[in-house]
Amino acid sequence: MKVLVAVKRVVDYNVKVRAKGDGSDVDLNNVKMAINPFCEIAVEEAVRLKEAGVASEVIAVSIGEKPCQEQIRTALALGADRGIHVETEGKVEPLVVAKLLKGVVDKEEPQLVILGKQSIDGDNNQTGQMLGALANMAQGTFASEVKVDGDKVNVTREVDGGLQTVSLKLPAIVTTDLRLNEPRYASLPNIMKAKKKQLDVFSPADLGVEVTSHIEQVKVEPPAERQAGIKVADVAELVDKLKNEAKVI
Amino acid sequence: MDFTFSEDQLLFQETVRSFLVNEITPERLRAGWDTDTGRDAALWQQLAEMGLTGLTVPEEHDGLGMSALDFVLLAQECGYVALPEPLVNSVLVAVPALVDLGGELAAEWLPKVAAGEARVVAGLEQNLVVEDAHVADLLLLERSGQWFALTPDQFSAERNESIDPGRRLFSVTVTGNAEPVLSGEAGDRLRLASLNRGALGCAAQALGLAQRMIDLSVQYTSERQQFGKPIGSFQAVKHHMANVAVRLEYARAPVARAAYAMDEDAAGASLAVAQAKLAACEAANLAAKNSIQVHGAMGYTWEVDLHIFMKKAWALANTWGDAGYHKQQVASVIFAEGAALGAGSTFR
Repeated sequence: MKVLVAVKRVVDYNVKVRAKGDGSDVDLNNVKMAINPFCEIAVEEAVRLKEAGVASEVIAVSIGEKPCQEQIRTALALGADRGIHVETEGKVEPLVVAKLLKGVVDKEEPQLVILGKQSIDGDNNQTGQMLGALANMAQGTFASEVKVDGDKVNVTREVDGGLQTVSLKLPAIVTTDLRLNEPRYASLPNIMKAKKKQLDVFSPADLGVEVTSHIEQVKVEPPAERQAGIKVADVAELVDKLKNEAKVI
Repeated sequence: MDFTFSEDQLLFQETVRSFLVNEITPERLRAGWDTDTGRDAALWQQLAEMGLTGLTVPEEHDGLGMSALDFVLLAQECGYVALPEPLVNSVLVAVPALVDLGGELAAEWLPKVAAGEARVVAGLEQNLVVEDAHVADLLLLERSGQWFALTPDQFSAERNESIDPGRRLFSVTVTGNAEPVLSGEAGDRLRLASLNRGALGCAAQALGLAQRMIDLSVQYTSERQQFGKPIGSFQAVKHHMANVAVRLEYARAPVARAAYAMDEDAAGASLAVAQAKLAACEAANLAAKNSIQVHGAMGYTWEVDLHIFMKKAWALANTWGDAGYHKQQVASVIFAEGAALGAGSTFR
């Protein structure tokens, strides 16, 4: 079974992001970039499927400018077999990403596509669902457990009320939640081996997709700074402030 | 000529940093102090799975066949987290010594070291005590230029206290009949090379320790408020940390130079290593001194993590040759008859 995993290059989750002075975007100058954590979980799950003998090949795909090949190499170091880079310029919105992934799906014909449920930069949570619709494939989103059973995959989903398990007919799409697994660290020998693994580069035109933007980013601004708290003398004062100042009771 | 580290070396550093910072937390270090061995077999296995224990093991013995220069950035990361496991000494001292000894000994032990199945420890007479002798599956012990390869049944180890609770130091006595595996001029050469490698490991770790103390101090002084402002905004506090940062930056190049010399310039290695250890340990000592100052009274407390890194820095400064020894190494070059001095000679 061939597994396709999507990985996105984002600002490292440890970095405290700042807005540019003119508020046009997030400032990415000299900022450490990394694989989106949810995508890393997706890679780990695909590699585990391969180690379990369920998957025969794991392909990591990323869409973006040339530097995102670093994240593909990281996925290869974590255990993916080969990489695909769809080279685009500037920002691409979730619908375009989904269309490009559909192009890769048509080309590779994987039985299972695993994506992160969302990226930590845009927080859109759209690409997996859009790809499911475009490719007419079943989808199991927010997965906390994935079990392949013959021509089906059982996905346990984290929903507001608890856990829901759905059975999807393959080929299918799974988007990963935080508790699906704990990604491994790449070993030094695997980092070296990753440099020799195949990495194909395609343009959107190769996949028959026209990159058009439907969304204009108007403004980026940091959240309001949290105000310092105050100490109250007794319960009566607390109740008074909650009632008359905060107006929450 | 390009003296910068390669893309691979920087990528390895980033990977190892991510692993160590996540896994070797101050809480885990404190927990380790109360265990019998102070060492964590599971962690050693993780380090082996990452390929770290076999980094300098030749490829024909299942290692990665890398060099001191490849490891020096990783040793800095080991210092940054105050890694108690004997990885730096194993990779930089014990494994190269075993490679140098060669023969059946190397063929038997090197693959085990690479796989994380055995720990080889090197103990030099100069250090008086042997670090981590209690977990050694093979101890390479040097006495007066003679080298002995000892299994645990051939030596006894009596624990000595250390200023750093993460270190385990032992006085070692050979109990059985052991014949030296190397002696004479070859033994002396290996002794000097091992001493230089150990000192290089200390220097690299000292850089990491200094950086950690700066980071802790910057974090503390950004949060601790006085007169309605973070104390880090006051010039007198800033100066303390700026002085450390400058000293640290100036110590980085000598350490990289020394690692290069260990691999490529054996004749200049002792001088380069001496300069590196002096510069890096002075930076770490200044970091400890100034970090205590900017932490105020908190810096002395057991609860604040600063002391973990301070004590390790102090301990490293006095092992594998103290400041006096390494100054003597520099002096022996500078004051040698007909010595060529200047930027291209004293600091090659």
